[in-house]
Amino acid sequence: MKPVGTSRTLTFVPTIGRREWITIGLLVLEIAIFGIVSENFFTGQNLATIIRNSTYLAIVAIGMNIVMLMGGVDISVGPTMGIVAIIAGWMLAAGHGPWAIVPVAILVGTAVGLANGLIITVARVPDIIATLGTMNILRAAVFAMLGGRWLTGLSGQFDVLTAGNFLGLPTPVFILAAFFTFFWFLLTYTRFGRRVYAIGSDEEAASLAGINVLAVRTVAYGILGGLVGFSSLLYLGRMGSVEITVGMYLHIEAIAAVVLGGTSVKGGSGSVIGTLAGVLFMAVLRNGVVLLGIPSLWERAVIGLLILVSVGVDFIFSARQAERRRVQLAIDKGLAQ
Amino acid sequence: MRFSTRIFGNRTAFLLLFIFIVGVIMSLLSPFFLNVNNLLGMTRFGTMLALVALGQTLVITGGGGGIDLSVGSIISLASVIFGLVFQAGLPVPLAAVVAIGAGALMGAFNGFNIVVMRMPPLIATLGALYAFGAIALVATGGRPISGFPEWIGFLGYGTIAGMPAQVLLIVLPAFGMLWVVLNRTVFGRNIFLVGINETAGRFAGIDVRRTRFSLYVISGVLSAIAGLVSVAWLMAARPDVGRDIELQAITVAVLGGANIFGGEGSLGGTILAVLIVTMVATGLQLANINTVWQLGTIGVILLVSVATNQLIAARSSAARS
Repeated sequence: MKPVGTSRTLTFVPTIGRREWITIGLLVLEIAIFGIVSENFFTGQNLATIIRNSTYLAIVAIGMNIVMLMGGVDISVGPTMGIVAIIAGWMLAAGHGPWAIVPVAILVGTAVGLANGLIITVARVPDIIATLGTMNILRAAVFAMLGGRWLTGLSGQFDVLTAGNFLGLPTPVFILAAFFTFFWFLLTYTRFGRRVYAIGSDEEAASLAGINVLAVRTVAYGILGGLVGFSSLLYLGRMGSVEITVGMYLHIEAIAAVVLGGTSVKGGSGSVIGTLAGVLFMAVLRNGVVLLGIPSLWERAVIGLLILVSVGVDFIFSARQAERRRVQLAIDKGLAQ
Repeated sequence: MRFSTRIFGNRTAFLLLFIFIVGVIMSLLSPFFLNVNNLLGMTRFGTMLALVALGQTLVITGGGGGIDLSVGSIISLASVIFGLVFQAGLPVPLAAVVAIGAGALMGAFNGFNIVVMRMPPLIATLGALYAFGAIALVATGGRPISGFPEWIGFLGYGTIAGMPAQVLLIVLPAFGMLWVVLNRTVFGRNIFLVGINETAGRFAGIDVRRTRFSLYVISGVLSAIAGLVSVAWLMAARPDVGRDIELQAITVAVLGGANIFGGEGSLGGTILAVLIVTMVATGLQLANINTVWQLGTIGVILLVSVATNQLIAARSSAARS
């Protein structure tokens, strides 16, 4: 465990760790393999499609990452996305412009996230149970709001975000760059970020060091909700419709991306850089499987096995490292005597 | 305050009160609800959920962050294996044994990853959820397998002395056996101790890893049996039949009194919670209200019951100190 400093004299900069490098390595390998095997892989259009399809997941995954850095988890993200997408869809149909819709979407998402956070911190319901409960409630709400019909024909305003180009590159590239840079900075160089890592490493120590653990946790869920709210607009822009199954597997995909990206489920280590690698890994895999004409049913099998392999590899490494530390400690002790 | 503590502090009383309230509301919604045939028939729908939730309760009680997200995929893969083996010419009883064995192996795979490879259960079983589910789809090309003999449908539709066959022949025996194991054997005591305090358990000479490993195997076996029930019920082995059941199972286990941090869990409570969920579902169906509301209702019940539990626990520990 790395030392965590919360005072101003001690500096702690979370670095990109072993697990992240494994995932980045796997991503490069995967890209190389698909590039060699399929001639259609390295076309500009294909690469752009990969990015466009994965933007909304990537942004949700950032929020999931923050929450998971503190040992939490949120499985209500799917229906949260549904609710925001429906409200945004209604506003679109009523003729509101993006200047009204974007803030509303982010606010509604944040409100749902904060509600989750408060249930977890104030009512002391464990993360997974709390969000399991809200997931069920929100799913019912999505159904009630849709009234059994699909919301269709909504493309128009927000497809600029996913389908558009800017300076010759797909717009999502810039969105992703902006979000990941901002949150990487937030988690690495600000007091809030250090508190997140401190709580994840040792909640009790963090609390004794004067960190308001409950506040940081609640805020983290709020941020996650806000990010889900924003990415609902990306989803809306990409799909152009909202159906009852909206976001059905969003929680599983986001958790998988974060874990593949090297964040420890116990909290305290990991980074958004790794999470981006995790999201891209899954997106490239999905794309490559289609290009190679492999039945897409295999895609989930590969993702599942890779989660197990990447966590398993980490175990083998960390066990070896712990052994080395123990030996070193014994030697130091021997020398001291 | 004293009364509320007594009701909320006692899980069984709380759940029974709840069943009563739900029963009253549902019979007001639909005059057919209290019909004996309906009440008995209702238990049929809870069979798969009950089996999986019993396993989930044990896994959660065993502590160490224990949770099994892969149960749905084990149901699917086990029923597919049953179908494939049957198609290959094995008689039904033998095919069932093979499927249950496969469930045990899948549980052992989870147990190995968690106990030996020391993966967090959430992640290990998330990986398995993906992997097993995908193998079931790949093995069948996504199509259901059918062509089973008519008589296996007895397990899905038959009745013995008015009781649904699957409840009488599978759920009750499974519940009875597990109850005895959990409450009347050394192994059962060990599950609780390991869940409450792993270190204390180890000092007491309990093999913590073997205990937890067994729980995942049991969960795998119960899921496989649930898969067989689904085949009898649908007269087909569907590769996606178990999808989404894991969250329901966790909900039911926690509602029934399992503490997500381990050391507490009640098989009776879980069964009562399954009963509540099925009552709400069938009642709403009879009243022609969409079952999605069931999810919402269960969500509210879950949050309220866990939150009250936590607050009472916090207050009583504050009072003690």
